[in-house]
Amino acid sequence: MGKQVDILQGTLDMLILKAVSLGPLHGYGILLRIQQVSKDALQIPQGSLYPALYRLEHRGWIAAEWGESENKRKAKYYRLTGAGRKQLKSERQEWKRLAVAIGDVLAAEPEEV
Amino acid sequence: MLAQVKSWWWALTGQSRLSGEMASEMDSHMERYAADLMARGIEPGDARRRARIEFGSTAAAAEECREAVGLRWPNEFARDLRYATRVLRKSPTFTAAAVATLALCIGANTAIFSVVDAVLLRPLPYPDPERLFSVARHFQGKGSDGYQMNLWGSAWEAVRDNAGYVDAAVFSDGSMGVNFGAAGGVEYVKQQRVSAGFFRVLGIAPLIGREFSADEDRNGGPAVTVLSYALWKRVFRADPSIVGQAVTLRGEPHTIVGVLPAQFQSIVPADLWSPLRPSRSGEGGGSNYAVVVRLRSGATWAQANGQIEAVGAPLLHQYGQDPSTRLQLISFQRGLTEYLRQPMLILWAAVGLVLLIGCVNIAGLLLARAARRTREMATRLALGSGRAALIRQMLAESVLLGLCGGAAGAALGWLGVKALKALMPRSFNVWQAVELDWRVLAATACLSIAAGILFGLYPALAASRLEIRAALGEAGRAVAGGRNPWPRRLLVAGEVALGVVLLVAAGLLIRTFAHLEGLNPGFDSHNVITAEISLQDARYATGQSVNRLFEHSLARMRELPGVDSAAVALSLPYERALNTEFQRLDGRHVDTASESQITNLFYITPEYFRVLRIPLLRGRVFSAADSATAAPAAVVSEAFVKMYMPDADVLGRHLDLGGDERREIVGVVGDVQQKSGWGDGSPLSAMPDVYIPAAQTDGKSLQMVHTWFSPSWIVRSSGTAEGVIAGMQRALESVDPQLPFSGFHSMEDVRYRSLAQERFQAVLIGALAGLALLLAAVGIYGLIANSVAERTRELGIRLALGATVPQAMRSVALPGVALALVGVAAGSVLAGFASQLLRHLVWGVQPGDPLTFVAVGIGLLGVAAAASFLPALRVTRLNPAETLRQE
Repeated sequence: MGKQVDILQGTLDMLILKAVSLGPLHGYGILLRIQQVSKDALQIPQGSLYPALYRLEHRGWIAAEWGESENKRKAKYYRLTGAGRKQLKSERQEWKRLAVAIGDVLAAEPEEV
Repeated sequence: MLAQVKSWWWALTGQSRLSGEMASEMDSHMERYAADLMARGIEPGDARRRARIEFGSTAAAAEECREAVGLRWPNEFARDLRYATRVLRKSPTFTAAAVATLALCIGANTAIFSVVDAVLLRPLPYPDPERLFSVARHFQGKGSDGYQMNLWGSAWEAVRDNAGYVDAAVFSDGSMGVNFGAAGGVEYVKQQRVSAGFFRVLGIAPLIGREFSADEDRNGGPAVTVLSYALWKRVFRADPSIVGQAVTLRGEPHTIVGVLPAQFQSIVPADLWSPLRPSRSGEGGGSNYAVVVRLRSGATWAQANGQIEAVGAPLLHQYGQDPSTRLQLISFQRGLTEYLRQPMLILWAAVGLVLLIGCVNIAGLLLARAARRTREMATRLALGSGRAALIRQMLAESVLLGLCGGAAGAALGWLGVKALKALMPRSFNVWQAVELDWRVLAATACLSIAAGILFGLYPALAASRLEIRAALGEAGRAVAGGRNPWPRRLLVAGEVALGVVLLVAAGLLIRTFAHLEGLNPGFDSHNVITAEISLQDARYATGQSVNRLFEHSLARMRELPGVDSAAVALSLPYERALNTEFQRLDGRHVDTASESQITNLFYITPEYFRVLRIPLLRGRVFSAADSATAAPAAVVSEAFVKMYMPDADVLGRHLDLGGDERREIVGVVGDVQQKSGWGDGSPLSAMPDVYIPAAQTDGKSLQMVHTWFSPSWIVRSSGTAEGVIAGMQRALESVDPQLPFSGFHSMEDVRYRSLAQERFQAVLIGALAGLALLLAAVGIYGLIANSVAERTRELGIRLALGATVPQAMRSVALPGVALALVGVAAGSVLAGFASQLLRHLVWGVQPGDPLTFVAVGIGLLGVAAAASFLPALRVTRLNPAETLRQE
């Protein structure tokens, strides 16, 4: 397990959208998927996952339905909606610009300033 | 957006379902995590515990989820309301006091608003009422800014012919009693005269038949009438084939052309309508018409108003009106109620002030409560509650109080409306039903919530501004009262000031009423019965026929047992009289051809002064010798002499009352009180009067006068009223069975009714001022009682250290008196301004009447002193030793 990073404010929504864009998932599954893809670098506080899910659902970016899980139990599955897909796209672009900008700032040499 | 609303609504309506889902979702999350942990070889018990700990508080997460879907506000609102209910139930005395105060104030507001709404606010009961307007003369400038709706015949013609943006009709804005004969009987009914197209302009189609045609609405046109639904049902049993049938109206056959629908509400009480037949001369030569217009489709008020103004300018100039006067379109609603506007608004303002005082009172109570709840507030703040949450919680309490008070107030208001209806003078002509309908209830509900916020906001803000440590540490162990007493003191001073304003207004109106009521009537109103007869009747179109009726009927009435004297007059004291222009022909003041004076004019039969016992001061009164052929004679009143012939011997002087006759003044009689139609506008005053013998009137002038006024038969008798009335009726029947009396009154009734509006105002404003005084007293009492309670320890120490009881009492009570003094001073200044608003309603007393101001000031201070020392009496029961031991 590598070093864990705190999630930046506002990026949890984007990560959730990305996670469910690969296919419907229940809450715990979303948590696992993010940890797995980030190779456990990103640790999501479990308590804040559900408020985020409800918020995204309320905004219409993800939709939920009750289905049966792998072990025949009822579970609430979240999937990306059309609006969510658009939102994800714009958030990803935003993130890229931010990352480039921060990278530029950090790479600046003294004489360039 | 739609998705959000849907999810919010879904969440709001299914909160238990939502909670269940959240719980099962989070549970299954933790179970899965625990299973994963177990798979990594952790003990099941440990795994579950770890899963729960790492997840954190499910309750907090659930709350956040609810917040995320926008359920925070309604949830908290419901919780606040539940808590508020519990808090209020725990202090029943406070709650009862606040709700009772509010119930009185809001009840008064509800009742008055129902009248104000009916008179000034509710749209007229006609289609598209916002497109209906009155043509009004707008007076501007020095002290008089107002509207007058009465116009000349030529003005009506100008509007009719030149104002293309409007559909116009003209009417006579009163209704007159007339004789109506149908199906063998005669009765006295109310008739309004309206032009062709009047009902079309209002937007009312007759139920059956039609309204008047232009041909019927000109002199010499066919005699026709339109009936009200009620008359049609009562007299003709709703006969559908009534149109075309003949009835007798004003002594002539008339054809019924239409019946109005049941739901039609007439602007004046009327049983039937007849064509106005407007003209430029006679009636139309004076400003005796009112004009209503409806904007044609597509036209705007600005267009139509501009047109009316342009049409009016040359006319107003021609009639010698002030150059600033304009012809304008004002809403028909306003045109009909202009004369009631000011008294209504004053009443509304007064009742609003009472509510404000009530709110101040409750705010004071809340401040005192807040002081006692300091620890509760501090504890909640210390436990992490936000300031906003505290304020919200306290506002929920006050709004809940407001709503409870409002509900009780609506019930009181319902009683108030019933009482008002009984008290309301007929002169108010409130023709839209005064009732507690949904409009009034909605206004009451809004008022209740607004009141709750008004009296709750400041105490809530003040209470939440707390030093937690100090408040908790202090723990009520303060020696000399804890919190800053000034906000509450200022509130009390403020309510005293508002009370002064109301009391002064009431004082002025009551003094006005007392002044008018106390005026020497100038006649003896006891044992006199009066009844009117409409002589707007084709059979009484000549001087001879009218006087024959007078002579014969009076002769029969004099024969009745107990009758002392009988007369006919147009009009009576306390009524509005006919006024006329005249010229003085000789003596010190002679009017040139272009000059004229104005006076009230009465025609009377010889015994008039005897019936009313009006004293003769000089010369003689009329006798049978003053006949149609005798020299024209006049008797004038003292006020007439004072105004027009102050220093000459008036007997033998001559007047020209119109027509080319020289009328000699043969006598001077005492003044009587009259309703003024001109002059200073006082409701009652001794106006200049000229009396002429009925025998010396001619048919033409009688016909005109009788379209506006009905003469009154007056009988002085020592017998019972019932006996006299029956006798008068028999006497009339034996002379003319086709002529009905309007209804009988004693002269005392006439006198009582003449001041109905002033009485109504004085009683209502007086009652409201009484309520304000009570509230102010309660406010002061509460303040002092609270300070005694807060300072019990301090007072105990003082007494223990040797202070006397009177000293201690003074130290507690004097702030109350001092505050009242401040309030009275501030209130007197306010009242000085407010009384200026009353100057058109105040008579016989100056708006700045020192007596009223001083009496109100002293009275309020007296009440304040009583309200301050009463709670201070508790000091006498204080046992210093016990008080000190309590800590």
